Amino acid sequence: MKNLILILTIATASITFLSFTTGTGYEMPSDKVGLPAYDVPDDVQEIIDNSCYGCHNTDSKSTKGKMKLNFDKLSDLKQSKQIGKLMKISKVVKNGKMPTKKFVEKYPDKKLTDDETTLLVTWADNMAVELSGE
Amino acid sequence: MKKVFYIIIVIFILAQFLSPKLPETSFSNPDDLIINNPEMNANVQDILRNSCYDCHSNETGYPWYSYISPISFLISRDTKLGREELNFSEWETLSKIERAGVIDDITDEVSEGEMPMSIYTLIHRDAGLNDQDKEILINWFENYADSLFE
Repeated sequence: MKNLILILTIATASITFLSFTTGTGYEMPSDKVGLPAYDVPDDVQEIIDNSCYGCHNTDSKSTKGKMKLNFDKLSDLKQSKQIGKLMKISKVVKNGKMPTKKFVEKYPDKKLTDDETTLLVTWADNMAVELSGE
Repeated sequence: MKKVFYIIIVIFILAQFLSPKLPETSFSNPDDLIINNPEMNANVQDILRNSCYDCHSNETGYPWYSYISPISFLISRDTKLGREELNFSEWETLSKIERAGVIDDITDEVSEGEMPMSIYTLIHRDAGLNDQDKEILINWFENYADSLFE
């Protein structure tokens, strides 16, 4: 009986530990997105703050998320890279790859609605065109 | 035991009739990246052809086992998906900003070792990219991306 309790305790502890270590690395953003050089309308800013910035910022625990896109550093990148990143945002949001399935399961309210998707995609496309100078 | 063996053989033979049609190949692609960039260094060309073009162009080289089920299903699917994602044979049909987006993908995935896929390099041992190959490829694409917006 004592053994059983011990086993259960260890199992519970391990599961709790695992659920922490396998998390999305998401933390509530404390500040607004740093996109100094960008003209970001309020509605787009809200979407980014709510559904993207949590993983895609300098202090993010998601190494991969930060490497692929860091909103804090986006406007520091060279022109061709900024355009590339904006086009990538547009693509992954359009085809529903972002926010990730795992993230949306954990935070269902952060799933993008169709309207939010359109807003974000249109903004990213337009910014890319604007930056390209055409 | 013998029975099981025969059943496996029969299933294998029947599976050959179900084999999918592999995506078609074409070696005349006027919108191809390499053809339209004659100044591209030979080593960049070699890397592209050797490590990328089987799935990301119309110039897929199908080895003999590509036609054998069930491997044919895997090769057919990966080639189809690879071309949908990025097809160097149709490069010139992309707009400048689309090219910049694709290049961001290429540089990220190559530097992270996500491409070429490990299942591909497992069989095509010489298709794997070492650090020097990665650097050559990424540099070329970054310079190319810059040149688009000058």
